[in-house]
Amino acid sequence: MEIDIKEKHDNELTFVVKDVDVSFINAIRRICTVEVSTMAIDMVSIFKNDSTLFDEVLAHRLGLVPLETDLEAFVLPSECDCEDNCPSCSVSLILKGKGPKVVYSGDLVSAHEAVKPVYDSIPLLKLKEGEEIELEAIAKLGIGLEHAKWQPTITCAYKYYPVITIDDSCEVCMKCVNECPRNVLEYDESQNKIVITDIENCSACKTCMNNCEQEAIHVDALNDKFIFKIETDGSLSPEEVLENACDVLKDKSEEIVVFCKGGAKK
Amino acid sequence: MIPVRCISCGKVVSAYFDEYTKRVEDGENPKEVLDDLGLKKYCCRRMLIAHVEAW
Repeated sequence: MEIDIKEKHDNELTFVVKDVDVSFINAIRRICTVEVSTMAIDMVSIFKNDSTLFDEVLAHRLGLVPLETDLEAFVLPSECDCEDNCPSCSVSLILKGKGPKVVYSGDLVSAHEAVKPVYDSIPLLKLKEGEEIELEAIAKLGIGLEHAKWQPTITCAYKYYPVITIDDSCEVCMKCVNECPRNVLEYDESQNKIVITDIENCSACKTCMNNCEQEAIHVDALNDKFIFKIETDGSLSPEEVLENACDVLKDKSEEIVVFCKGGAKK
Repeated sequence: MIPVRCISCGKVVSAYFDEYTKRVEDGENPKEVLDDLGLKKYCCRRMLIAHVEAW
C-alpha cells in the first residue's frame, strides 16, 4: 500500500492510496464516520431558562457543539465501572448568562482543561433584558452509530482514481475542453492536441465522452487507486481519526483471531 | 438562530455566522466572504446565504 498526501489544511486531509481494494478503503471510511469516539454534550440539567428557545431545542444545540477530545483521558460510559457518571467517563460544563446578550459556546465553563468547545463563536441563544440562563451540561464519549453529534468527520469520502485517454482519431474540435465542468482538459498549442492538466479534479462525469463525435476520448477509473478526502469537525485531527479507525478495525479482527484459536466467548 | 451545523454535511457553519453577517453588512461580496471563511461546499454556503435571522 502506498499513501501520498495531496493536501493538508487545519482539519482537512486529502491523500491518494494505491494498491488497496474497495472493500478495505470502504471499511476504513465507515469506521471513521461512525465508530470513532468523540466527546459531545449528552445530558443537560437546566436550572433556569428565560430565553425564547425551548429547553429541548437548547439542549440539542448544545449537543451539536464540537468539543476538543482527549481519547486517552476518558473511557466510553459503557466500559466505565461507575453507575451514572464519574470523572473518568464524563465532564461537566457550566453555562451561565444574564441578558441582554447573545450566549456563545465560548461561555461554556468546562471542569476539565482538555475538554472545551472547538469554536468559541457559536451562538447558542439570545437573552433579552432581565432574562437569565443557568444550566449544567454533561459531556460524554460516544460513537456516531448512536447519534450524529458523536461523528468526528464531516466529509469522509473516496473516489476512484480517474484515467483519461485520448486516441489519435481526435480532431481537436475543442468540445471536450469547453464542456468539461471542472476544467480538467486544456488545448496545448505547441503540440496541437488536447492535454490533461488536472486529472485528480476529474469527477468521471463523462461529459467529454458524450460530447466527442469522433469517440476519441475515454474516461475510465483505476480500481486499486483512490483519492480519499477526510474533514473533521475539530474534535480530533484527521490523522487521529484515521489512526483510531485502524485501531477499531484491529480490535474487531482480534476477536476473529481469538475465535479461531478456540477462545471464543460463549 | 442560525443552525449550529450544516444540515447536509455537518460542518459547524454557525461559528462563522457573526463574521459573515458583519462583513456582508460592511458591503463585502458574500461570495468572497464565504471563500475567505473556507466554506467551499454549496451545502454549507446556502446555510449562511439563505438564513434569515428572525429574532
